[in-house]
Amino acid sequence: MTQNFGFVIDNRSCIGCHACSTACKSENEVPLGVYRTWVKTTEVGAYPDSKRLFQVTRCNHCANPPCVRICPTEAMVLRDDGIVEFDHRNCIGCKACMQACPYDAIYIDPESHTAAKCHYCSHRTDIGLEPACVVVCPEHAIIAGDMADPNSEISRILASEEVSVRKPEQGTEPKLFYIEGDEVNLRPTLTERAPTTFAATDVMALHDEPGPIRIGGTTAGHMVQVGYNAQHQVPWHWPVSAYLVTKGIAAGIVLVLLLLWGVMGHAVDPGIALSSATASLLFIVITSALLVFDLERPERFYYILLRPQWRSWLTRGAVLLIAFSTLTGLWAALEWGASFGLVAQATLSSVRMPLLWLAAPFAVGTAIYTAFLFAQAEGRDLWQSPLLAPHLLVQALLAGAALLAIFWGFGSAADALRPSLLLLLGGLLVADLALLAAEFSRSHATDEAKVAAAAITHGRYARRFRLGVVVAGHLLPLALCFVGAAISTSLAGCFALAGLAVYEWIFVRAPQEVPNS
Amino acid sequence: MSGSDKEQVEMPRYARSDAEPVSLTTVQHPDGRMSQYPPPELWDDWVEWDSKAWPERVARRYTLVPTICFNCESACGLLAYVDKETFAIRKFEGNPAHPGSRGRNCAKGPATHNQIYDPERILHPLKRVGARGEGQWRRISWQQAIDEISAKMRDSRERRRDGICYHVGRPGEDHYANRVVQSWGVDGHNSHTNICSAAARAGYTFWSGADRPSPDYANAKAILLISAHLESGHYFNPHAQRIIEAQRAGAKIITMDPRLSNTASKSDVWLPSWPGSEATILLAMANYLLQTGSWDREFVRRWVNWKETLEAAPGFVTDAAARAIADEALAAEGGPSFEHFERFLAALYKEFTFERAARESQVDEERIREAAQIVAGAGSRVAAHTWRAATMGNRGGWQVARCLFFLNVLTGSVGTEGGTSLNTWNKFVPKTASQPPPLDAWNELHLPVEWPFAFYEMSFCLPHFLAEGRGDIDVYFTRVYNPMWINPDGFMWMGALRDESKIKCHVAMTPTWNESAWFADYVLPMGHAGERHDLMSQETHTGKWIGFRQPVRRVAMERAGKTIERTWQANPGEVWEEAEFWIDLSVAMDPDGSLGIKKWFDSPYREGEVITVEEHFRWIFENSVPGLPEAASKEGLTPLAYMRKYGAFEIVSGNYVPYEDIVSEGGKVLADGSRRAGFETPSGGLEFFSPTLSTWGWPEQQYVIPWTLPSHVRPEAIDCARGEMLLLPTFRLPTLIHTRSANAKWLYELSHKNPVWMHPQDAARLGMQTGDLVKVETEIGSFVDSIWVTEGIKPGVIAMSHHLGRWRLQEGSGVGAGMSSLVELGESGDTEHSLHIVKGGSAWDSSDPDTSRVWWKDVGVHQNLTHAVHPDPISGAHCWHQKVSVRPAGPDDKVGDVRVDTAKSMAVYREWLALTRPATEHSPDGTRRPRWLKRPLKPTEAAYRLPGREAPGSE
Repeated sequence: MTQNFGFVIDNRSCIGCHACSTACKSENEVPLGVYRTWVKTTEVGAYPDSKRLFQVTRCNHCANPPCVRICPTEAMVLRDDGIVEFDHRNCIGCKACMQACPYDAIYIDPESHTAAKCHYCSHRTDIGLEPACVVVCPEHAIIAGDMADPNSEISRILASEEVSVRKPEQGTEPKLFYIEGDEVNLRPTLTERAPTTFAATDVMALHDEPGPIRIGGTTAGHMVQVGYNAQHQVPWHWPVSAYLVTKGIAAGIVLVLLLLWGVMGHAVDPGIALSSATASLLFIVITSALLVFDLERPERFYYILLRPQWRSWLTRGAVLLIAFSTLTGLWAALEWGASFGLVAQATLSSVRMPLLWLAAPFAVGTAIYTAFLFAQAEGRDLWQSPLLAPHLLVQALLAGAALLAIFWGFGSAADALRPSLLLLLGGLLVADLALLAAEFSRSHATDEAKVAAAAITHGRYARRFRLGVVVAGHLLPLALCFVGAAISTSLAGCFALAGLAVYEWIFVRAPQEVPNS
Repeated sequence: MSGSDKEQVEMPRYARSDAEPVSLTTVQHPDGRMSQYPPPELWDDWVEWDSKAWPERVARRYTLVPTICFNCESACGLLAYVDKETFAIRKFEGNPAHPGSRGRNCAKGPATHNQIYDPERILHPLKRVGARGEGQWRRISWQQAIDEISAKMRDSRERRRDGICYHVGRPGEDHYANRVVQSWGVDGHNSHTNICSAAARAGYTFWSGADRPSPDYANAKAILLISAHLESGHYFNPHAQRIIEAQRAGAKIITMDPRLSNTASKSDVWLPSWPGSEATILLAMANYLLQTGSWDREFVRRWVNWKETLEAAPGFVTDAAARAIADEALAAEGGPSFEHFERFLAALYKEFTFERAARESQVDEERIREAAQIVAGAGSRVAAHTWRAATMGNRGGWQVARCLFFLNVLTGSVGTEGGTSLNTWNKFVPKTASQPPPLDAWNELHLPVEWPFAFYEMSFCLPHFLAEGRGDIDVYFTRVYNPMWINPDGFMWMGALRDESKIKCHVAMTPTWNESAWFADYVLPMGHAGERHDLMSQETHTGKWIGFRQPVRRVAMERAGKTIERTWQANPGEVWEEAEFWIDLSVAMDPDGSLGIKKWFDSPYREGEVITVEEHFRWIFENSVPGLPEAASKEGLTPLAYMRKYGAFEIVSGNYVPYEDIVSEGGKVLADGSRRAGFETPSGGLEFFSPTLSTWGWPEQQYVIPWTLPSHVRPEAIDCARGEMLLLPTFRLPTLIHTRSANAKWLYELSHKNPVWMHPQDAARLGMQTGDLVKVETEIGSFVDSIWVTEGIKPGVIAMSHHLGRWRLQEGSGVGAGMSSLVELGESGDTEHSLHIVKGGSAWDSSDPDTSRVWWKDVGVHQNLTHAVHPDPISGAHCWHQKVSVRPAGPDDKVGDVRVDTAKSMAVYREWLALTRPATEHSPDGTRRPRWLKRPLKPTEAAYRLPGREAPGSE
């Protein structure tokens, strides 16, 4: 019969001694700064009824593991025996698994620069030995075993004890079960993510700038504060936000031109076509460069094609990007060929629009596939928005229109197109505002999404969101659209693009700061 | 030697093997678990997959060598995985053959690996160059170290019997070093006991003659702790296993601690008592047992000196009703009866009501009652323990241990299943091939006449004694001991260590740098857990076992057929082990045998040859461990080979009520006429009333029977309105080894700072929040630290863990940069000292890439420098709690700043000295100390005579 490994953590017995933490470091040679298992400690209640609650915290070896689904290269694998394994040999360091894990269980190893986590000591279980943490525990508070074997200790315990898991609402089907799990430790959003210190440990700064200094929260009139927790850094930084903007520009240019030339019937200007094709190609190249740059193992970027994992939207996205790049590349080549006289203008005129129409679905795909990728990032609930796909499409159009507006503020060639472009830009700004309003006024299903949304609209990022995104990024360019002058068009484009950049930075950043452990 | 060119330990490398692991997947265990360890028959040659290369299947081949952890006193078993080709140590797991730890460990066990491969460890013997404390060192050979040090020792020994001092911090072994000191014929043993456990030892000894408890937690119904045994106690991991086991089986845990320790948090009843009120609570519980009749009359009648108590009562009793009962008993026909004693006890303790206990302890009365009811309902299954905590915090703390054991006596839970045994029943120290005779000397610097009951040497007052001109030391060994850091009043220590006229030669034996070694003349690197031979036994449960610590690389190399003459050839660099060093040093001290030292190091197997360390242990295993030769021969092994393979042996288990054993001589004759083994007191029974205390100058009621004594930090002594608070400076974390964790990166990563714990109410009063800096003023100085606001501390009390605040004086040398602060020491005038942090912890480059990943900065504040010495007049314990003033730090105060005036240090020392009742004035028989009380090395009877006092019989 197939095995199905799981863990039970018996909080009745756990004394918070951290033997498991160091035994794991020893067994798996885990470097300083990262943990595969740790003991989260929370103080609750008021003296003299205060308590310290411990929670051994680690990978849940989910039956439905989002980290495996999102991994583009089969570096995260669900084994037949239920262990969620990682293979550092396949990992390109994209950190998508860290975004997918709702439990903060995965880290990037500072030596191999690849993803790692608790792997159930599968190098031990494969020869019949228990994981190191189970063996070391003075209290036998960690129980490991085959849940498919009715005679195993873990099966007997699961048959008789009431257990809970972390975040069952994520649908990941965790196979790490807590006896007497406590809400305060199970639900990380009950406490503050950015404390200034733990009881006997400094805190690694999560933010670049000083964060909120309040530690702990207050629940039912009692202090709740985290005394110890493993600390997690934000995995995706500006390159990912920037990539959202650049690929939006690249795809948006194509789509906006199709609207202007193909739908609204404006005449094609060769100069505009040449500069637009160049810009689109440039930005899609930058997009790819950013993606590779953000990898922890950039030299392995081609693994995504050599050992693809097709359920991953990173893999699918890569294919879309390649297809779109190929078509824009072809388009730009034709435009440049024509400008150097290598391609006949007539030939170009006859293939340009069909080529753009052919590129259109790939442009749309390039714009919106990130919504499906972000949907796979199940550790970031704010990204799990049904509005994200349309929003990304609008943003791409907006980015394309904004870039063209910057260009078209100068030079008379675009004079004819400017009113239509401004109309389009204005309309997109309104649409984007509407989508923002919808996104942040809708009721978010989980605490994690609520906390991230609140950080944007009322918290840490509120000032940047309101002034930078809404006012400077939308209202101001919208007003400028009504001016209609050349220079105001460029300015409107600049502001709209800057607003988009600020928004993407906030949107990428805020959900990553919500505690998952 | 500077930082960059110094030799660093090589990181371990493991060889690739073609072997395939043996699969244990088909092994069925009745408990439904997988296997936890390789089966012992495969320990010699065990193959595992490399975890780092995984899922690539890279096989590694190990030989598994058991040893004993050296990180706390529990002596848990470890199993070292030594690479068969490179002899690098891959990891330390638990040793399943160890009866105390049963294959499991705490965080510190696996972290032994960090210590072995600590890039900052000292690899060669060093000799000072330049002035003491200047930090200049020259590498020397072991031979040179032995030649030079032994010459100084010989010179001293020829002149005097108190010129050599072996000052031990963590012994980590039983009897070996003591025997060596005894062979030198000097009163040279000094310990850390008086900053650790002296008070509890006193309290238990006055009752029973044994100096520590050995509770049978696993079978208890009530577990009463005045310590934090689930995170730090004597003996943390073995005890924590058994305490939780009992709780899961229905036992109730009661913990007294003003701080919410992990233990308190796991307890059924937490009694956050004001320090110093513990004895009152315990006596209120005793009173409850007495008033409700829920005590074991038969046990008390049988074993307690009740008749002697009643006879002495008129001399001490203050309560009129109790006095009347005593008078009635003494006048009764046929003498006092036990019924008189029952009534007497009830009258004596009736003043200890729950209401009074609640008032003094500031703990809810109902909680105290609940605790008392749990104890009353547990019958003879009361496992109770105190070791440091309240006993060592408070003046008179030794009475806490005595009052606690009173509950064991009243419930008849002495030595019973689930009760509280005494250590002597559960600890086994085997005899050696030869034993030097008791020494005929008394070292006044160790046990001065002012403290006839000290348990034991007045070690922490050594610099004060030296400053008073009480003597000097020719050769001073500090051994895994950092006296100027861990003792109170560190600047007094620094003065003593610098003074070459007082401490003429200082030899620091330590695996790693410490602040005191910086002021040594020789620094001798000694090994960690897997690098040395020792024999250890601890009373972890009701049973007796021995554990064998081994130099695991040496053993692995010998298994591979290599010849190793000295352990330093197998350890990193030239790191040695004491057991071998002591042999070579002692023989070098007496090369021709004229001092009578050399003969104690003769081989029992080879006539006229010097013993080897292997022969020493071989003889013990063959001749003085009952049952071991038989167990070994069953496996076809010699006793030595058995111990090399398994590393531990259980001699007895389930050793209950041994005092009831019928004996043919000695012991105690009971009222029923039977002669029983009894207890190690002068009367052979349990001494409720202590004739010893009574006749040695402490005849008052509060000393002669279990009673309360006013602590120096009792609530009346602390004026909260003036910003005064009580500093509890000693609590321990489960993740650190006293102050010796600075070479264990995994432990420091988990805990590296010691902020001041403060209740929100106190923080609000001071207008502060977590992270803000406070200035804490003690009697002799001040320190600055950040605060941690928590509901886990009693209002009015602040607490700091005692582990952290290590420092170094030079960049690139001394304690590792990630584990210590770089500091500047300042002096002004003759007595004013300061310590200022120049730089906190930081990443650094070394042979271990992990040191470049150190991310923390705050590595703690060295508070002990600011503590004055508080020697208890009876137990000699340093009473750790501090009365302090607390206020927000000023703009010029920086975290870690310390200021001390040692003139004040001496003034406080003299205040406490004045509380003593010296043997010169109070000894009833002209001796320095009651001879029945323990000493680590008991000298001859003649040595006990006070100077100028005649021996009895010659009067």
